[in-house]
Amino acid sequence: MDNINAEIFTLTYGSMVRQLLTDLEDVTEVNKQLDKMGYNIGIRLIDEFLAKSKTGKCIDFRDTADKIAKVGFKMFLNTTAAVTNWSADGTECSLILEDNPLTDFVELPDAYNGLIYCNVLCGIIRGALEMVNINASCNFVKDVLRGDDVSEMRLKLLSQKSEVYPYTEDD
Amino acid sequence: MIVCAAVIGQQNNPLYLQTLQQEGGDKSLRFHYMVHCSLDAVEERLAHPPKSLGEPSDAYLGLLYPTEDFKIYGYVSNTRVKFILVVDEMVPKDEEMRLIFRRFHTAFVDAVSNPFYTVNTPIISRGFDASVQTIMTTV
Repeated sequence: MDNINAEIFTLTYGSMVRQLLTDLEDVTEVNKQLDKMGYNIGIRLIDEFLAKSKTGKCIDFRDTADKIAKVGFKMFLNTTAAVTNWSADGTECSLILEDNPLTDFVELPDAYNGLIYCNVLCGIIRGALEMVNINASCNFVKDVLRGDDVSEMRLKLLSQKSEVYPYTEDD
Repeated sequence: MIVCAAVIGQQNNPLYLQTLQQEGGDKSLRFHYMVHCSLDAVEERLAHPPKSLGEPSDAYLGLLYPTEDFKIYGYVSNTRVKFILVVDEMVPKDEEMRLIFRRFHTAFVDAVSNPFYTVNTPIISRGFDASVQTIMTTV
């Protein structure tokens, strides 16, 4: 797979977030916009992931989360995440980012304390999962940029549509 | 020991200044003055580069001028950003100084890469504070 220089990627993302802040002037709006952009990326990215990652079908949601953390993050961000804190019914887990190239150099000024800088990642995961018939929610609960010790995303399985093919005309 | 580190922008505008806390209160004003004075020396060096000293594009300027208690060293990047270090009586060797300046420069580059920093404005960054502090104290 082709790579780009990590610093170019980091700086590009940084200036994009900065531009969004200038344009939208509101941190909550920026968070929403980042999520939306991520979603749009995710619904395209999943095809590339499936085509190039050579992974098979996931058995259950645990398997899905593992593949996102170990294969997906490796492929697109060259880092991995740890999957922990599973809820008892296996529908909710935490992805802990060990190393996040998006946040290199970044120091969040106090004025933007509510900004979820990497919210695009949540959107990507949500969008990508939606394309494989998994309805999930994803959001940051901890963020190193806002003073937490780790970056933690909470991934929650909401519903799963079964794959039926061919679709009936009502669908 | 390095007692003061400063970064001066292209238009000779101060971008950053940090002093090591010493007994006898805040001396940063005095260092501001010293760094300001050293800019003349920097300009002179840039106008008349010494021919014998290393490659022509050497960023390290060496000793700019000594005062009674301190010695002032300079370094200029290709983008005309000036790095000034004020050293007290214990003077490191030129080679060490070069290395310190290079680390200082790298720290500056990282701080400037922060998307929330506007170029050519004073640097207010906890991360940069910390890295400059380590550079100053680990001599």
